Amino acid sequence: MDKVVNILLVEDDNLDVIDVRRSLDKMGILNNMTVAKNGEDALALLNSKTKSHEADLDIALIDINMPKMNGLEFLSTIRKMDEWKDLKCFIITTSDEKVDRMAAKELGISGYIVKPLKLNNPSSMDAFNLMIDLMNFKSKI
Amino acid sequence: MKISFLIFFSFLFILLLFSITTYINFQQSEEVSENSKWVDQSTTIIRNSNRFQRNILNMISGLRGYLFTSENYFIQAYDSAKAENETILSELTALIPPRTAQATLLGEIRNINDNWLNDFSTPLIEAKKLADDSDSTLISFNKLYREKLTQGTERYLNRQLQEKIRVFINNEYNSRDERTQILDQSVRRTRAISFVLTTLSIIVGSIISIFLAYRISTRIMLMVKMANEIAGGNYEVYTKDSGRDELSNLAHSLNNMAQVLKENITLLKRKNQELDQFAHIVSHDLKAPLRGIDNVVSWIEEDHSAEMSPKLIEYIHIIKGRLLRAENLIHGILSYARIGKETQEKEDVDLNQLVDEIGESLTMKSGIKILVYPKLPKLFTEKVPLEQVFSNLIGNAVKHHDKKNGVIKIYHKEYLQHYEFFVEDNGPGIGKNYHNKIFVIFQTLQERDTLESTGVGLAIVKKILDDRNQKIHITSDAGTGAIFSFTWPK
Repeated sequence: MDKVVNILLVEDDNLDVIDVRRSLDKMGILNNMTVAKNGEDALALLNSKTKSHEADLDIALIDINMPKMNGLEFLSTIRKMDEWKDLKCFIITTSDEKVDRMAAKELGISGYIVKPLKLNNPSSMDAFNLMIDLMNFKSKI
Repeated sequence: MKISFLIFFSFLFILLLFSITTYINFQQSEEVSENSKWVDQSTTIIRNSNRFQRNILNMISGLRGYLFTSENYFIQAYDSAKAENETILSELTALIPPRTAQATLLGEIRNINDNWLNDFSTPLIEAKKLADDSDSTLISFNKLYREKLTQGTERYLNRQLQEKIRVFINNEYNSRDERTQILDQSVRRTRAISFVLTTLSIIVGSIISIFLAYRISTRIMLMVKMANEIAGGNYEVYTKDSGRDELSNLAHSLNNMAQVLKENITLLKRKNQELDQFAHIVSHDLKAPLRGIDNVVSWIEEDHSAEMSPKLIEYIHIIKGRLLRAENLIHGILSYARIGKETQEKEDVDLNQLVDEIGESLTMKSGIKILVYPKLPKLFTEKVPLEQVFSNLIGNAVKHHDKKNGVIKIYHKEYLQHYEFFVEDNGPGIGKNYHNKIFVIFQTLQERDTLESTGVGLAIVKKILDDRNQKIHITSDAGTGAIFSFTWPK
């Protein structure tokens, strides 16, 4: 039986939300995706999940450039939270800067995906495929 | 004091010193020459006196000989000695200054001599000449002879004359010795004074020159150092010069210049930084919505192509074309802004290989050929910007070509300091009235939709060459093809 993957997407651009949703659909990943508009909203969401003991997230996709709290700040915050420090996180961003890559790597990410998700952009596809593999593995348990 | 005054007065002083030296030397040499003239004159007097004395002796023996032998030979010797002595006497009178002891003595000598001549020798000779004529003349001669010669007066006169001449000559010798000594002394003194004065002048002159040179050159060197620092890009320099002359003014101007330069450079750096940031931000912020549109268009194409009418497909195609152009423009702005930002390392560049690679990387329209003749040189230069220049020029020639058998010729000329490279095509050419427009960014002579032409390529070329003080030139007219030539340092 295919399992539904629980995904948290932290992304402020609606277009990118559609992009991710569309790509997952195309890959045939059954998912239950929660969207937060920025790091603060996402943190609030995680806190409410902690309170109601719903630690049901499988994976988080985090944009870097967002208002209020950016992706890297959010990532470093949850790495200090007992409930969420082991959550598998992927960065999904337009920034291909080395600084951002290094900072994200130090925060223990599982992959760095460069937007847009296109077949002619290998650097985005490698990490995205890795993510898909991970989800497939999850969803086939 | 102003430096020009200082130099003027210093040289005036040195000149004065040398003038004094020369004047004193001249005075001394006058003295020497006067003394040596005096000594010469003395020598002449002595020589004449000696001859006078010898002539007296000749005359005495001539007189005696004639009286005894009546031989004319004796009277001739007597006459010539007498004539010579007359000349000598007048010469000596002229040489010896009047109213001196020597002049008095000479007067006495002349008197005795005249006395002897008039009273004794001349009457005796005259009588002797007549003695053989008759008995009476013989008697009168014999009588005269007894009167004049046997009494001893004549001998006494002679002795007196000899004695006077001897004294006269001795006097002259003594005074000549004195004068010679004075001459020696004055020569020695002249030498000493000359030596001291000349040495002094040289020493003082040297000291003044060294002082001046040191004072000027140390300050100039300081300012040269400062100017070099400024040329090297360090504007935090200051020359301290407390003088009140032209060099201080120069130092002051230099300090001002450094200050103004520093302010301007700081301003320029800030403006450049702002411009960089501006270009970066603008292009990044522009990219995001473009990417969004691009995404949506590709979703429509991928997911909904079956539902699209032919008109919609055409419009979507137009949108994609515009998107591509906008992306190219942004890319162009970024490339233009980036020129000169990264420092380029020099490396060995084989231009033949470089041009080959550019040719291969360009999507060639069929029938266009690139000809390189003669072979291009190998350079040790910044590869990336030179490659950009060639790539843009060749790329333009290819992109705009409108004939079936297009030929792009690449050649060069070598000069002392630089090369001139030529990229010549037989394409459509560029009308002369457009020549000043083509290097301006975003200027393109083609309608925007006919080619992927952003109008950045030639602006980039121009900026790369401007940054290196190189020139680019275009020779072309509509329909005649175009020759772009540019210089590049060796």
